[in-house]
Amino acid sequence: MNPEMNQRLEALLETVQRPARYTGGEVNAVKKDWAGRTTFCFAFPDTYEVAMSHLGMKVLYEAVNREDDLLCERAMMPWVDMMAGLKEQGIPLFSLESHRPLRDFDAVGFTLQYEMSYTNILAMLDLGGIPLEGRQRPPEAPFVIAGGPCAFNPEPLAPIIDAFLLGDGETATLEMLRVIGQGRAAGLSREDILVNLAGVPGVYVPSLYEASYHEDGSLAAFTPLMPQAPLPIRKRLELDLDAAAFPQRTPLPFSEAVHDRIVLEIMRGCTRGCRFCQAGMLYRPVRERSPEKLLELAKGLFEATGYEEMSLSSLSTGDYSQLLGLIGSLNACFMDQRVSLSLPSLRIDNQLQEALVDTARVKKSGLTLAPEAGSQRLRDVINKGVTEEDLLRSVTEAFEQGWSSVKLYFMIGLPTETDEDLLGIADLARKVVACYYALPKEKRARGLKVVVSASTFVPKPFTPFQWAAQDSLDDIRRKQALLREALKIRGVTFNWHDPQTSFLEACFARGDRRLAKVLLRAYALGCLLDGWSEHFNYQAWLQAFRDTGLDPALYANRVRGKGELLPWELADIGVTRAFLWREHERALAGQVTPDCRLGCEGCGLRRFDGVCLP
Amino acid sequence: MKMLVVYEKMGPHRFIGHLDLQRAMQRALRRAGLPVRYSQGFNPHLLLSFAAPLSVGVQGAREVMELPLAREMEEQAFLDRLNAALPEGLKALAARALEEETPPAMARLQAARYTLKPEEGLEALGQALPGFLAQASIPFEKRGKAGVRQADLRPLIHDLQLHGGALHALLALSEQGSARPDQLLASLCEYAGIPRPRCLITRTALLDKRLLPLEQP
Ligand code: SF4
Repeated sequence: MNPEMNQRLEALLETVQRPARYTGGEVNAVKKDWAGRTTFCFAFPDTYEVAMSHLGMKVLYEAVNREDDLLCERAMMPWVDMMAGLKEQGIPLFSLESHRPLRDFDAVGFTLQYEMSYTNILAMLDLGGIPLEGRQRPPEAPFVIAGGPCAFNPEPLAPIIDAFLLGDGETATLEMLRVIGQGRAAGLSREDILVNLAGVPGVYVPSLYEASYHEDGSLAAFTPLMPQAPLPIRKRLELDLDAAAFPQRTPLPFSEAVHDRIVLEIMRGCTRGCRFCQAGMLYRPVRERSPEKLLELAKGLFEATGYEEMSLSSLSTGDYSQLLGLIGSLNACFMDQRVSLSLPSLRIDNQLQEALVDTARVKKSGLTLAPEAGSQRLRDVINKGVTEEDLLRSVTEAFEQGWSSVKLYFMIGLPTETDEDLLGIADLARKVVACYYALPKEKRARGLKVVVSASTFVPKPFTPFQWAAQDSLDDIRRKQALLREALKIRGVTFNWHDPQTSFLEACFARGDRRLAKVLLRAYALGCLLDGWSEHFNYQAWLQAFRDTGLDPALYANRVRGKGELLPWELADIGVTRAFLWREHERALAGQVTPDCRLGCEGCGLRRFDGVCLP
Repeated sequence: MKMLVVYEKMGPHRFIGHLDLQRAMQRALRRAGLPVRYSQGFNPHLLLSFAAPLSVGVQGAREVMELPLAREMEEQAFLDRLNAALPEGLKALAARALEEETPPAMARLQAARYTLKPEEGLEALGQALPGFLAQASIPFEKRGKAGVRQADLRPLIHDLQLHGGALHALLALSEQGSARPDQLLASLCEYAGIPRPRCLITRTALLDKRLLPLEQP
């Protein structure tokens, strides 16, 4: 940024909310010299506070910066006031480290955490001086790459993202950057570099494939345009987490992040097989970091940050094989430094709770339980292996230990759901309240607070419910009203959201490449920051669908047939379609499938040469 | 014993809010492994107090914070270790070991010096200055927790001069009454009949009732 522009930026910063979001220069931020390096900007399509809470960004930031030939800087979605100011002042969106516009980088990488951030990607490209569609980008424009959970159905972003990475990014990102850097150094054309990118295992380059559709709107064929374009694309896996890159010097946000603490990823993957859960299928097999490695990482992170809180991250922390030992050694190590350990959303079907009371440094943040469905029948359908008895026991124990607030998470609109299942939610809430009052007055903490949250179910790719229809908006609203009535119970609060956002999520989660037109149109109509309810403009989205001649219900509310080709089947996540279909049928029959640590269920991952549990 | 630390908050760091600064300093003290003390209770916090919060956007050249220590430490050793954990623009400039009984910096604080560098209008402000100061009272609307009320700025201005392309102000800053430098600028501009220019403000010293810096108790 030239001095004159810098002046204008300084003046702008004096007028916006939370200017520290945009200044960079945090402790542990890395500023490398650009000369002779392949330059990568990690772009997070949400605000600074959300971005700086995200572990994946910290992992890649450090993994890339550790390499001498590469550098990684950061950029986030500016808030509306800053966005308007940047436009007005003619200042392009810049990276926090070197204050260079996004268009100056060799590669710009977005993490796809949720569908409702897609318009922010467009806004950031636009503000950063990068043409929105791949085919419009001149040779010197950055390669726009993306990864993260939503990259497993990359199609709605196909014309916008040059290359997607499916799966773990620690090593693959470096390989992608080197293909780009070396290709540029050798003077290769943009097209040739894209072909080379397609040669990196786990990388999907959408422009090298073609899709055609049946009359009814479903996908007819999906074909590579050249032999170098693999199909399907097998996801990348980091098999040894102890060897995988993990951040040691994470930049410390000045403006407080949503989760501002040490986060230790103790395990990747989950074997429980909940049928609504996409992460549970995507991140198989289960891989653990050793307690020794974790302790070493924790010490390093504390020394580099001074954080006062630490949390353990995984899909199912209670399943980590050496959890008690790990908690014990972390507590012992950080006793003097007053680092507290917080363990959110513990699974309820283990005895961990008991062990935790002995460790004084574990934060009591209230009990969070996720039964997901209100009746045993429906919990069997979704394979959430939790019984009412388990639940009520955990709750009673928590009350006995002096906790008085319980959060219960449910989904509504699950396949096969009836009103009876819904009323089961109210029933359960009532029983939780009864558990509290069953304790003698002097033994329970004051101020009972039971919060029931019900989100709208969004069927996701690569789950046994990938063929299922989402309930219509009217259905969901009727069900919410029913629950609102039924949950008028003293001590119980009911949280719910209008299902419009979930409806759009459902469209994009299982969308095909035609949806990119809707996305571009919605952005042109002013849609952005859709994840922030005050900015979400549902009518504009509907108009974008109308303007492009696509029917959202085709994506969200349609039951797909067994034989239908699904847009995301370009990816091979290890778990097979046959397994998912079997699970789908078992779901409809109300049959549970046990945790596969108790015996392999044949999900297909074993095809990935011996990568699964012994 | 307790340690009084003089530190700067310059450049982009002027955009850090007070709570964020508190957190940043606490974490720096922890990274530095200094013998800090914690409050009792289930959620102990690091004991650290600041002489006076600084508004977002205003630089601080010699800000003051204090903390009790769990054991004796040399001033220079403390300073070196803390600085190793602080980023450029947020460095510690001096450390003074004080008796635990020394009244807190916050209580000793009476006034502060500021420099204000307006981007334009300096000439008009210079011409207006004598008349501005000759007023018996300078009423302004003070926004506080209790809503908006009328207050008088004049008795809170101990000194105000213009030289070297900047305004230099000595303003009251205590529990009994404080004047904000941006309010001073607003009132002066209003008096001079010019729109308020963009202006970089720096607080250059925190003073006790003898008008000596707080680090000299
Ligand atoms: S291969 Fe077998 S053990 Fe491995 S994740 Fe799949 S079902 Fe579970």
